[in-house]
Amino acid sequence: MYDDNHRFPRLPWILLGLGIIFLAIGSYIGLFVAPPEALMGQVQRIMYVHVPTAWNALLALTFAFVCAVIFLFKSDWKWDARMEAAIEVGVVLGFLLCCQGSIWAKPTWGVWWDWDPRLTTTAVLVFAFLGILALRKFVEDPGRRAIWSAVATIIASVDVPIVYYSVRWWNSLHQLQSSPSTVSRQFWLPLRMNAFGILFLMTAFIMLRARVASMRLAQELVPPPAVGERV
Amino acid sequence: MLTAALRKELLLQWRSRAQFMAVFVFGAAALLLFSFAVGPVAEMLRQFSAGFLWLGLLLSSTLTLAESFHAEMENRAMEGLLLLPANPRALYYGKAIANWLQLTLLGIALIPVMVVLYDAGTTRIPMLILVIALGTAGLSAPGTLYAAMTAQVRSKQTLLPLLLFPLIVPALLASVKATSLIILGDPMNQMRSWIVLLASFDAIYWSLCGLLFGNVVEE
Amino acid sequence: MNGMIPGGWGFVVAAYSVTALVLIIYGASVIARLRNEITRRNHD
Repeated sequence: MYDDNHRFPRLPWILLGLGIIFLAIGSYIGLFVAPPEALMGQVQRIMYVHVPTAWNALLALTFAFVCAVIFLFKSDWKWDARMEAAIEVGVVLGFLLCCQGSIWAKPTWGVWWDWDPRLTTTAVLVFAFLGILALRKFVEDPGRRAIWSAVATIIASVDVPIVYYSVRWWNSLHQLQSSPSTVSRQFWLPLRMNAFGILFLMTAFIMLRARVASMRLAQELVPPPAVGERV
Repeated sequence: MLTAALRKELLLQWRSRAQFMAVFVFGAAALLLFSFAVGPVAEMLRQFSAGFLWLGLLLSSTLTLAESFHAEMENRAMEGLLLLPANPRALYYGKAIANWLQLTLLGIALIPVMVVLYDAGTTRIPMLILVIALGTAGLSAPGTLYAAMTAQVRSKQTLLPLLLFPLIVPALLASVKATSLIILGDPMNQMRSWIVLLASFDAIYWSLCGLLFGNVVEE
Repeated sequence: MNGMIPGGWGFVVAAYSVTALVLIIYGASVIARLRNEITRRNHD
């Protein structure tokens, strides 16, 4: 069976619950307990969800890259299922990141998009991996689909640092703005809590989504009954 | 093996040179349409001329790249080719180089169009040709790989640009910047960094895609 | 940046709401798809 999560069937649900709790507490502290920051005022609070989302989006897509490499070497279907899950979750988190970044940019820089290299790279990334998801939808043969999307994932992942540096160089010639200040030490608690919260949620999502992918694969790979045989 | 593959590709391309003419007309039309989007303001058109040229090239490249596996698909020749002792890597590099040459030619052919429509003349033609060659190399390497994949899939016309465009952002940025510096001047000597970026992108993707091509076409 | 950005609560609420919304909607869609697959497998 391609679905090998039966060793820890309850784990994703536990992680889901933990994630919600951590995120709720972290957000509460970030919203109501932590004092407003000296220069940015209340808007700084956005960082308490924005930074954790960034870490986890990157983590999800890195995991997708690892799954792609492992799949090409081992040809084990479970890595294809995990890769599909990781890409989808990574795209969702990346999209969320762009939304948060946009909401941050408007009061801070006065525009909805400030071409910040990290955010711009994320946007390019979201498009790249959405394309890979589209590729998967249009290829019917499971073997080809797995190999091709693994290849595409490797190619897209290698591109990430290149895109980042080229946008950074491109942007630095025009803008004099510095990147948003990192969160100062005293505010680390809501940041860490939210980071773990989103980490648990993300892991739960990837595990559950991989199960969906495994089950679909199992369905696709079942050989059709021989002619004349009754099902 | 590579030279045989390359010779075959170039022969195929020479035979379909009418198709090249069609793509050139498409590219030139695109450049014309861009000027309508901006308006007949000479100074603005000149500012953006590099961007327009590369956008035009990028759009045209989807046509060229999609066509490049047409012959294989028509006669189901892809499987036939792979049964020969030639390894898939030779096939890939043969096609990628042929596509690159065609795109470079296209870029060079569009230079006069750009000069006329956008008043974007320059004396540094050899440099411009170098930038075009490096930029189209960046389009051709991943483009040929994705063309091989999408040739065998329905909705190929949408999938190829969808996959390619986000990927080549660094090559696009660098090409546009370098071309812009040639046309508008380079007071701070930034050209070298952009060329290095472009060359690195090319080096990385020409090796990586060649490495992975075997996986894409094996049965 | 000089001086405090006045107000801004609206943006903070927007950011947190978008985050919650996206996570909840995506989570619900994964769980729904999982349920579908399980029922389909049990019916086969």
